[in-house]
Amino acid sequence: MKKQINSCPNQTEKLKLVSMLANKAIMAIKNGTIKKRNLVWLELTGCSGNIISLLDAANPGFKNLATQMVNIIFDNSLMVAEGQAAMEKLFAITADDYILVVEGAIASKDNGLYNIIGQFNGQPITAYRAINELGPKASYVIAMGACASDGGISAGRPNPSGSLSVQSILNRKVIKLPGCPCHPDWLTGTLSYILLYGQPELDNKDRPTMFYSTLIHDVCPRRPYFDQGIFAEKLGDKSCMFKIGCRGPVTPVDCPVRKWNQHVNWPIGDDSPCIGCAQFGFPDRMEPFISYNTTREV
Amino acid sequence: MSEQHFYDKDFNKTINDINDTIDNLYLTEDCYEKNKLLNNLRKQIANITMMMQNNQNYSKNNIEPVTQNDPRVFTPEELSTYTGKNGNPAYVAVNGVVYDMTNVAAWGGATHFGLTPGKDLSGVFASCHDGQPILSTLPVVGVMAP
Repeated sequence: MKKQINSCPNQTEKLKLVSMLANKAIMAIKNGTIKKRNLVWLELTGCSGNIISLLDAANPGFKNLATQMVNIIFDNSLMVAEGQAAMEKLFAITADDYILVVEGAIASKDNGLYNIIGQFNGQPITAYRAINELGPKASYVIAMGACASDGGISAGRPNPSGSLSVQSILNRKVIKLPGCPCHPDWLTGTLSYILLYGQPELDNKDRPTMFYSTLIHDVCPRRPYFDQGIFAEKLGDKSCMFKIGCRGPVTPVDCPVRKWNQHVNWPIGDDSPCIGCAQFGFPDRMEPFISYNTTREV
Repeated sequence: MSEQHFYDKDFNKTINDINDTIDNLYLTEDCYEKNKLLNNLRKQIANITMMMQNNQNYSKNNIEPVTQNDPRVFTPEELSTYTGKNGNPAYVAVNGVVYDMTNVAAWGGATHFGLTPGKDLSGVFASCHDGQPILSTLPVVGVMAP
């Protein structure tokens, strides 16, 4: 019985999954069975938190991804080229095969003028124009993070820039990886799967089921407290944070198993409730993030 | 109250011990030391399990029983006082039936996707959960006045 608990596949296999997929993809590329794909990374209306998150990837790390799995054609945070030369690279890729990763929402108000991502032949290129030109021609479009997936913080009330999700602009399949930020594993795993087999299995909101299928609440290490009615009254209490507004029961993602900062800890592990950042509707519909003086104890 | 307080205190202490053990596990590289810490962890988990079993009968006994034959009738004004705030239960009406959302997991902090209790939420319920077998799992506390 003890042995079975130790080898619970939810804990062990989920963590192995991403490195297994990535290693398989890297091997297949080395063997020549599959080819490296071009990757275009558009940072649109957001905070660039998703690329920062990806740089923190481990096993496989970002270096494996960038050197052994894909050719990063354009990423304004990482590329050497700048100005006109960078924009030329961006628009030249539309003639070739590429996977498009988008982080950030798309500012749509006033013809998208609230987000200029560069100058091309003297013309300002808005995020709105970039997504409209690059989105339809990509072989896959991945919306990475809360803003790209659902508008997120960029589209939060009162949304002065008229920010929209990638799906609101593009009339095509968009794989969504919500999270603020997106976990590096969620992107690496999805990309590896695409390289190896094509589009992964998605749920009814186009999120890969390999990461977004189980409610946090269902595998939360503090679940026994909920079942016993033992609730935290303030931040820092080491029991179930349901009464102060935990969104784990409405957020289906694998944070309890995968954890963050190279699989070390996660909000609930540090006595802070889940704020539902990987659920659609974040942040406006997940607020208030903390509630005091709520319902009575059971 | 005192019994619950004692239980919480003991419980939290054990949880703190477990966290300390886990912290130490991260730090140690020595295989033997690691095994010792893991054994410790098992003991602490066993303690927790025992405490939980001893207290299983505690709690969940404060909810007022509702008889189906004599349902409580709510006016909209009455319903609006059950906001889930300041110790009040969180009641929500859907299609004329009043449900107690106080301990429904998806209503953490007595809010759910920006919605608050004390109201008739039939419209939004239909737009989000149409066809899902949710209502039958919720505790009923009464009906809305016709």
